Amino acid sequence: MKNSRIILAIILGVISQAVLAQTPKGSVLIQNATVLTVTNGNLEDTDVLVEDGIIKRIGQDLNAPNGVEVIDATGKFLMPGIIDAHSHQGLDVVNEASAPITSEVQMKDVVNPTSIGLYRALAGGVTVSHAMHGSANVIGGQNATLKHRWGTMNPEDIIMKDAPRTIKFALGENPTRVHGRGNGIQPRTRMGVEAVIRNGFNEALQYKKEWEEFNSNSGSSTNPPKYNERLQTLADILDGKIIIHCHSYRADEIYMLINVARDFGIDKLVFQHTNEGFKVAPEIAEYTMGASVFADWWAYKFEVYYSTAYNAAILSRNGAVTSINSDSGELIRHLYHEAAKTQRYGGLTDEEALALITINPARQLGIDDKIGSIEEGKHGDLVIFNEHPLSVYAIPQMTFVDGIKYFDINEDEDDQRLSVSPTEMVEPIYLTEENHRCMQGTIRFYGESLFQHSH
Amino acid sequence: MKKTLLRLGVLALSFSVGFGAINAMAQSDPTGKRRITDSYAIKDAMVITAPGQEARTATILMNNGVITGIGSNVTISVGTKVIEGDSLYIYPGFIAGASDAGITKPEDPERPENFVSSNPPDEIAGITPWRSAVDQFNPSDRSVEDLRKIGFTIIQAQPDGGMLSGKSALMLLGHDQNSNLLKENTALAASFRGSRGMYPSTAAGVMAKFRDVYKNAELTESQMAQFSNNLGARRPEITDTYKGMQDVISGEVPVLFSASSELEILRVLKLQRELGFKLILTDLENYEEVIPQIKASGAGVLIKLEVPDDKASEKELDEDATEAAKEQLKRVKEAYQKYLAQASKLEAEGIPFAFSLADVKPNDAQEAIQKMMEAGLSENGAMAALTTQPAQMLGISRIAGTLAEGKMANMVIATGPIFEEDSQIKHVVVDGYVFDYDTKQKKSNGEAPAEGIAIAGVWDYETESPAGSGEGTITITRASDGYEGTITYDDPSGSGKASAPISNIELSGSTLSFSFSVDAQGMSIDIEVSGDITGNTMEGTMALGQFGSFPLSATLNPSFISRK
Repeated sequence: MKNSRIILAIILGVISQAVLAQTPKGSVLIQNATVLTVTNGNLEDTDVLVEDGIIKRIGQDLNAPNGVEVIDATGKFLMPGIIDAHSHQGLDVVNEASAPITSEVQMKDVVNPTSIGLYRALAGGVTVSHAMHGSANVIGGQNATLKHRWGTMNPEDIIMKDAPRTIKFALGENPTRVHGRGNGIQPRTRMGVEAVIRNGFNEALQYKKEWEEFNSNSGSSTNPPKYNERLQTLADILDGKIIIHCHSYRADEIYMLINVARDFGIDKLVFQHTNEGFKVAPEIAEYTMGASVFADWWAYKFEVYYSTAYNAAILSRNGAVTSINSDSGELIRHLYHEAAKTQRYGGLTDEEALALITINPARQLGIDDKIGSIEEGKHGDLVIFNEHPLSVYAIPQMTFVDGIKYFDINEDEDDQRLSVSPTEMVEPIYLTEENHRCMQGTIRFYGESLFQHSH
Repeated sequence: MKKTLLRLGVLALSFSVGFGAINAMAQSDPTGKRRITDSYAIKDAMVITAPGQEARTATILMNNGVITGIGSNVTISVGTKVIEGDSLYIYPGFIAGASDAGITKPEDPERPENFVSSNPPDEIAGITPWRSAVDQFNPSDRSVEDLRKIGFTIIQAQPDGGMLSGKSALMLLGHDQNSNLLKENTALAASFRGSRGMYPSTAAGVMAKFRDVYKNAELTESQMAQFSNNLGARRPEITDTYKGMQDVISGEVPVLFSASSELEILRVLKLQRELGFKLILTDLENYEEVIPQIKASGAGVLIKLEVPDDKASEKELDEDATEAAKEQLKRVKEAYQKYLAQASKLEAEGIPFAFSLADVKPNDAQEAIQKMMEAGLSENGAMAALTTQPAQMLGISRIAGTLAEGKMANMVIATGPIFEEDSQIKHVVVDGYVFDYDTKQKKSNGEAPAEGIAIAGVWDYETESPAGSGEGTITITRASDGYEGTITYDDPSGSGKASAPISNIELSGSTLSFSFSVDAQGMSIDIEVSGDITGNTMEGTMALGQFGSFPLSATLNPSFISRK
């Protein structure tokens, strides 16, 4: 009897360990690569040692500790894992499009670590993506920063726990179409969008005050206010606990939100898409955490016609923290090409161009102390390329997250799916849906074909 | 308003039942349905009193719905109806952990004039924790009979609705003139079902709203304490939603959360960790990878009594198929086998589980259990999942789940050991009422058609369903390798008739069976027809998958061609 109890305790212990398992971390020594550190120049014929998920040493002729795998990267290029500041891969739900403010909704609740898009991203050298709520609402849900640890069923394993909270805002045509035109409520215009934001923040201030009063009077007969996660989240934004990532196109609305943020004392603000960012680049540089843009994607709806491929270069050279994102299951496969376009259109240096998909998105997500460059002490998120990643011939060979290899162009199986349906020979593939997911889910509300007008 | 109407309906129903009963007595039961006696004896049957017990010969006595004796030397008193049980096998009545049998969804309330889809009233947004399955349950619904027919005697009936549809209740699948309620408010049914066109519309919205509803119910609870203890405290706002949530936040009643996939299960467990409610997981389909997490949570487990369609996994490839296609097919086959083996993994982990029957086709349930057993689930494990384990989970072990003196007279009586393929259920006893079922020689492929039976020709048929009666023709002609034919039916998308080819036409003995499919609003429904032929008429059923099966009768038009 006693014995069986002990055995039971052991089994239960093992199980609870399995349940609470730490995210896996690995060790690897990559030798003789051309190391593109992004923050400290290029190092020829250099070794990088990752131990227990952390870059321990960068140097020459390093020795691998016992049991650590050695990879010879002679003639190859090693760069930091690519970071995509705007993605919808790995999410089962993108849009809770039903209200102009849904700040209580969390993408972390609906992460799907088996989504094949995450593996395809790894094959494009992307180790971290910012899985965002859609752009149907003025203030959408909170986003999730994902580490692409392919191979787990558990969403908690791929959510980057030490990344700060971020939230999606959206200006312009999408929220005005869904709520104003589609539902007959505010906002119907860009003015309405501003009003929704300002009203939301003012309500959050009142909410915060109510709770402060209640908490300072605790013990007396005061009743607690109604709990409201929506307003609490807005209050957290005002307290600087959450970074805003705002879908935006036009210079006037970008400048509008800068003013709103300044009025409410918010400085954690990143603009997404930002096609007219080049018109307000100095303002973005001075007051915000920068802009995350496409290399050359526009004209998919009226507000996105005034655009230029020089956008990223102009923003960068004006001192704005600038990144290039995918917002697409296809572009996420070759963000290095997207970054390279800024050399053709704007003449950015190699280092500036690589920063657009590494250290700069890391800054915008508040994780630049952990990833985004090859430096001792940072996470072992690395990609080996056959050629310089800004070359048109570049193909990622291996991708590592926390020192563990999750992609290998030579060794991986053809079929890398984690979950296979027992009833379908091959899962159907919907190219349009895979590519443009910003407005996914709104279609059943408003019956419009939104896939052509998605960002 | 809606609720009042519902209550009125229930009242009217019970009034008419009462009226009927009085009538019956006054006119010495003109229905002829009143039974002669409440005492039964099933004599000399093979009795399995509980999962894992050997079958032994015994006589079972029951009176007024209670088992009054089991054994080989029990005395059968005068006035007892005796059922000869030799060659029959008796098992405890099956219990379903969750089911939607007999449940009719209440009509959606009308939207108020000032309706705003971003902030709808709870009742419209699928948040109705105060509703009860008792008000939605109809014991004479065909789906109840469909479940009873396969051995189920007690179900946890769950109300239909949105993310918090209401309170489930334990119902007996008994005589339809009885109330059949065993226990009210056994769990609060929840799901990730969003509301169409309003907040919350997605699983992400539902999770946020669930937290909101839960935490505000807790706050109201603490306000109630303030209000009763302190003079001058503000009156708490007691909403229907709060009232519906009270037993859940106090931990008295579990949440019966529908989660079909591994990811959904993890989402429910996340909510449970955050909020701390008691939990029964239901409708589980894919769960193998999260068995450790399920075990650690201590939640009750109800797996869906269904196995996936094996069309894809049974597929054979041509010889010149590519390697990639072969590899893919291999993975599909593996996935199928993995699916079937899941129940045995729960058993191996020592996690007690039972079955959920919502959206399950009763006709396929037996096959599902058989496949789970072929994939490793033990016979005792399967029997326990149908009897003792749900009884334990639902807190009715004292009265149900096994056969013993003093327990409710709920049992399944089969022509052989229940899990053997040729065994058929002959009687199901619920609450002491004996329901009889026809047992037939099982259709065996290749059985010669009975002498003198001809099916080729044009049949006129009629069906009865809750949606009204339908009619059409079935045309069967001889083909080189059997039969082919067409059926006409009332077009579901409008007026007039539609027709469809029929397939799998089989005449086995005097039983004709065939199937066809109908497109109804973009959904393809497979319909199976089977009937017994006597002369030129056929009596049978038309089965519409999970929608139930309905009686069908048909007549073969006279033919001018002489029979050979």
